[in-house]
Amino acid sequence: MNTMDKDVIIIGGGPAGLAAAVELKKRGIHNIVILEREKYLGGILRQCIHDGFGLKRFKETLTGPEYAQRFIDDIQKFNILYITEATVIEITPDKIVTAVSRNGLLQYRAKAIVLTMGCRERTRGAIGIPGSRPAGIYTAGVAQSFINLHNMMIGKEAVILGSGDIGMIMARRLTLEGVKVKAVFEVMPYPSGLPRNIEQCLNDYNIPLYVSHTVTNIKGRGRLESVTVAQVDEQMNAIAGTEKEYKCDTMILSVGLIPENELSLTCGVNLDKHTKGALVDEHYQTNVPGIFAAGNVLQVHDLVDFVSMEAEHMADSVASYLYQEGFPPSHISIIPDDSVGYVLPQYISGEIDVVCSFRVKKPAKKCAIYVLQDGKVIITKKIKNALPAKMIQIHLPAANLNSTNEIKVKAVEL
Amino acid sequence: MYDVLIIGAGIIGSAVARELSRYNLKIGVLEKELDVCVETTGRNTGVLHAGFTYKPGSLKAQCCVEGNAEFDKIAEELKIPFKRLGKVVVGFTDEDKQSLLKYQDIGRRNGVPGLRLIDKKELKDMAPDAGGEFAMYSPTSGILSPFIYNVALAENAKQNGVTFYFDTEVVGQSRNNNYYILKTTKGNFSTRWVVNCAGLHSSKISTMLGIPGYKLGFFKGEYYVLDKNAGRTLNMLIYPAPGPTGGFATHATPTVDGNVLIGPDSVQIDCLDNYENTKSSMDKLFSDGRKMFKNMKREYCIRNFSGIRPKLIDPETKDVLDFVIERRDTVPHVVNLVGIESPGLTCALPIARRVIKCIKEVETLYDRKNFNPCREEIICFANQSREVQQQLIEMNPDYGEIICRCETVTKAEILQAIHNPLGVNTMTAIKNRVRAMMGRCQGGYCQMRIAELIQEELHKKETEIMYGRKKSHMFTGKVR
Amino acid sequence: MKKNFTCIICPNSCDIEVMFEGNAIGTVNGASCSKGIEYAKNEMVHPMRTITTSVFVQQGIVPLVSVKLDTPIPKEKIFEVMKFIRDIKVTAPVISGQIIIANILGLKSNVVATKTVEKV
Repeated sequence: MNTMDKDVIIIGGGPAGLAAAVELKKRGIHNIVILEREKYLGGILRQCIHDGFGLKRFKETLTGPEYAQRFIDDIQKFNILYITEATVIEITPDKIVTAVSRNGLLQYRAKAIVLTMGCRERTRGAIGIPGSRPAGIYTAGVAQSFINLHNMMIGKEAVILGSGDIGMIMARRLTLEGVKVKAVFEVMPYPSGLPRNIEQCLNDYNIPLYVSHTVTNIKGRGRLESVTVAQVDEQMNAIAGTEKEYKCDTMILSVGLIPENELSLTCGVNLDKHTKGALVDEHYQTNVPGIFAAGNVLQVHDLVDFVSMEAEHMADSVASYLYQEGFPPSHISIIPDDSVGYVLPQYISGEIDVVCSFRVKKPAKKCAIYVLQDGKVIITKKIKNALPAKMIQIHLPAANLNSTNEIKVKAVEL
Repeated sequence: MYDVLIIGAGIIGSAVARELSRYNLKIGVLEKELDVCVETTGRNTGVLHAGFTYKPGSLKAQCCVEGNAEFDKIAEELKIPFKRLGKVVVGFTDEDKQSLLKYQDIGRRNGVPGLRLIDKKELKDMAPDAGGEFAMYSPTSGILSPFIYNVALAENAKQNGVTFYFDTEVVGQSRNNNYYILKTTKGNFSTRWVVNCAGLHSSKISTMLGIPGYKLGFFKGEYYVLDKNAGRTLNMLIYPAPGPTGGFATHATPTVDGNVLIGPDSVQIDCLDNYENTKSSMDKLFSDGRKMFKNMKREYCIRNFSGIRPKLIDPETKDVLDFVIERRDTVPHVVNLVGIESPGLTCALPIARRVIKCIKEVETLYDRKNFNPCREEIICFANQSREVQQQLIEMNPDYGEIICRCETVTKAEILQAIHNPLGVNTMTAIKNRVRAMMGRCQGGYCQMRIAELIQEELHKKETEIMYGRKKSHMFTGKVR
Repeated sequence: MKKNFTCIICPNSCDIEVMFEGNAIGTVNGASCSKGIEYAKNEMVHPMRTITTSVFVQQGIVPLVSVKLDTPIPKEKIFEVMKFIRDIKVTAPVISGQIIIANILGLKSNVVATKTVEKV
């Protein structure tokens, strides 16, 4: 097995990997390769046949495949090397990448590695719903793939657990294909997806959404027969006596995405317990020099437009790293207050302006975001209609910093 | 006309089939589910027991020690994933110490080799994950894959001439001169001998065959399966010393593939075929698990499952009785097995040999020429060195296509699983044979490709693809 | 009188308020852009929607091509349009942007491929 030298290996040819590759090329880095495990480039966008992508970036509403194609066209135009049906199985801390392909094992020695592997879905097993384990229980992405890519219809009567955008998109998709979607249940007291999706996916089709409800039992021997749904209290415990049974042959789960970082662990990358993605600095570099991360593998995004932007900023830093322009060390940590789910990046130098990404934990019609250092507010931003579903970005100019001490981001409802 | 029909293709039925196939007999196995290891055999902790908890002189004790001793050879012949890891039974109090001494004594009387008490220091050295002041160390305890063991026995039996019938449930019988007619959901089968290996249904079948009176108590045990990342340092079986009632409390057991099983508990149930996980058991296992295993965390939980133990109960004393392996002159040509629960996996082949002994009491059996005790395995790509992986891909490029990312399972393995010798073709059949869909994403990435491969390779319609049990269809048809 | 709508045009999901008297539409508040204003006015009079779905492809490297309506159609016609689309087959190659069904059901909207599917 020969070890091939590359400047950059990009792991994952979805929207983040594609945008990173094109940006690297534009910065003059040519010796790159994208390793994609599927047969085609595009990542999860291939199965997202609904529109709403690209409104910020291209000022038009595109479907997932169309958005991906814009970047794939650039990959072809710039002659960027990519290998499909190649699955990376190992990355070492000294940046040796091993992939499996039909042509044999591929091994590369990389100067820099870009982690853009995306997410996997949280499963029924992970959240531990009691009951039997029949056929007919699908996570939303799996259902989407079966229906949109593989031409296989999964059921006739469905309920959906989780009001995330994917769940609601699938509610509409299933309804359009003649499936009776009886209801969407959400364990939190508020929906976790965007209001536009509640409108165009649920209200348009009279599909009820019950917040503060969850599935407490599943029945069915071979195939799903029914689920039991109960109301929950503030601690998300089922309230006795509120149980209702819903007959159905299909249950769709939309209960969260988990950045897929198994490979990152093999090369010594440290993960943030909040995001489940890598701990990174203002250059999207992980704790391992030369290993960078962007896109869903770093933080779960809701708009692919931001994924592309994040990947491009990261690629810019990768180029700087390769040109040995040197980064000032990022020793100032940024942490989330309890009101905020997470903050990215987790470390900054304090010498350049930075854009921080984060999400509030609870919806708030009006709230103020405070960035604090040494107990003093150094940045304030007022936000209307803050939702956990919508990522918020805040500019953090270096000039606003008073010291090299820890920075905290806090959201306060007004 | 069969010489022998075996009812049930679980570990016992398949072991009996394999051992009987050493002889010149026409043998068939009637299995009501769509594959082997669907019920009790596929729903346990996968332990090769040492034999220090069973009453000396009992069949459980004898068969367990016998089965344990020979298992290295069996694992080699049949290519079964197996690790003789050893077990520590840990204790804290004087009461615990007494229990351990009692077990050590029972073990000695049963012929269990190597049992000894160890102190805290040795315990820490041996099993860093274990908490305890002292422990009993059992070097012969081990872990194995119950799925592959069952599959291997069945495939080896098939290879040696046995016919397996799936989706074939025995619903009645009649006797005609000197043979039986077994009525099944797929028609009638005639046979000279019947061997009852029906597990959970063994007392029902026993009654049907003319031996009534056995009462089974059904005890459900629920489990959590934990991510491999949780099990990296768990290098032995760690059991707490048994409580006053004699049973073991919740324990954490590594699996031969690197996962961790938390459980099982034990709850008596009335309704058979109720494999539902219950909130009460799940909550208790989670909190007990957290006390004794540091990596019992929500983020490591992959899934839950349950198994049902068929315990033979004395109707008066309510005690759990020993295995029944019997042949009665009053019920000709029936070998009856009732109440085969733990340590059933460990005891499978010793039990099978005793079945043959029963048959030999009234009939001479002639050796089959060319009986081959060995079976070929599906080579596990993930476990090979890089050199071997490269060779595999060069020989067959399907080894270069990874379908199940979490468990690194290749298309070549999945195709071999789809074209398995027994002819079974559910999604779970593939899962049990090559581990695809057993990882943390639970088939989120690979089940689409696997369903498609089953469809293409076996020319099935979408509606014919089953998940695991009868009527477990995955799809209602095409979208377009 | 007023009526509120959640705009579906973009992820901002603006909460738009339309003032009206009988059939006369008055001021529209809360939209961040003109598309939102147009959406809200349409919702009052005649709600329109686009559809994204799939069409069967013969001899293609994949069995389905994803499609969209290039202009919105009346909301009440959604299922009629779906029924029509369900019966259509196209033959590969299909190019992204290609019109699969022109002027579907006379509603002045085309069903357009959103992905390229090559021939097998």
